[in-house]
Amino acid sequence: METAGRWLRSAPAEWLGLAARVVVGGVWIWAGVAKLADPYGSAQAVRAYQILPWRVADAVGHTLPSLEVVIGTALVLGLLTRGAAAVSVLMFVAFIIGISSVWARGIQIDCGCFGGGGYDPNATGHYPWELARDTGLLLLSFFVVVVGRTQLAADDLLFRRTTKGA
Amino acid sequence: MSKQNAQARAAATAKVAAEAKRRERRNTLLKIAAVVAAMAVIVVVGVIAGTHKGNNGKVDASAGSGGSGSYSLTVGSKSAPHKVVIYEDFLCPYCDQFELASSDQLAQLAQQGKVYLDYRPFHLLQPAYSSQALNAFAVVLKTSGPEVAKKYHDLLYRNQPSEEGPFPAMSKLVDLAVQAGADESKVKAGIEDTSSQKSWVDGATQAAEDAGVQGTPTILLDGKTYQSGSTVPQIAANLIKALS
Repeated sequence: METAGRWLRSAPAEWLGLAARVVVGGVWIWAGVAKLADPYGSAQAVRAYQILPWRVADAVGHTLPSLEVVIGTALVLGLLTRGAAAVSVLMFVAFIIGISSVWARGIQIDCGCFGGGGYDPNATGHYPWELARDTGLLLLSFFVVVVGRTQLAADDLLFRRTTKGA
Repeated sequence: MSKQNAQARAAATAKVAAEAKRRERRNTLLKIAAVVAAMAVIVVVGVIAGTHKGNNGKVDASAGSGGSGSYSLTVGSKSAPHKVVIYEDFLCPYCDQFELASSDQLAQLAQQGKVYLDYRPFHLLQPAYSSQALNAFAVVLKTSGPEVAKKYHDLLYRNQPSEEGPFPAMSKLVDLAVQAGADESKVKAGIEDTSSQKSWVDGATQAAEDAGVQGTPTILLDGKTYQSGSTVPQIAANLIKALS
């Protein structure tokens, strides 16, 4: 356990942390920007999961794009790295729960009914891949949380340590 | 140097160091708070900008030619205290859920004079069945009157195919029309020629687009989009309760 702790504070771990940070952050930014252009579509996409009451689903759908861009940017820059990565973990947990739920209920969220701009006849076939992808990104985010300090992070500029053991 | 002086100086140095550490910790917390606040502001700005974008899902049932009800199947009396407009697609599985959970109850409420129903099916989903069923519906509406058309509408939903197929032959849609009370000789040709009502189908779909409908089912209660519930069956149940 202690060797693991020491490894996590080593330079290679910090470089891996940088890689994980940039990958996850990049995915968030790309996902968020794609949704920014169509906020109503984003709200409808959340409603399609039929989990939240529609008003809550609406609010979540409207908030998601900007939240994704902000978290993604924070991760890419390495700003409040641990916190951003923790938020990222929570978001992936939520997505995994959502996709598992529609899969279990046999709901086709890509039916085209919600104006998503396209009907996917194989919507349910995509769920396993989406779950695998989100689980991978969840693990990367979790790694960043555990590592904490990563190379080339804005945190180093902002939170320069002048006293020992702060 | 006396021992006391050395001790006093050590204590003073320690105190200064502790002060510096405390100040730095407070500075760190302030910085974190500032960054989090900035992030929150950006998210809020993003949300506000998003909600002001486009028509934001507001549906105007009276917009365009659809407003005159020319593509409607109406049930009940116009003088009823509530008006419900339902935009739907005959292939949409959620519309099916809504219809199966509501059509009988809503029809009953309309009969009791509690609601004026305005069904506006249109062509949204890509598979051909969507427009074929709509075409068939238009034929029945035009040749056999609103009561038979309403029965046909309900039968189409009770026999809705899966969105992936397999899809029924047009002869099946003719059979359903006969089951609903239509005269086969009057509807057979029109249903089997799936473009016989093309202008009606296109008009109804354009009217839905003009109204701002972006997905199905879209339900309006007295002009405002009705969405109370997490699932479509819940929305149907809540709507019925609201009208009862």
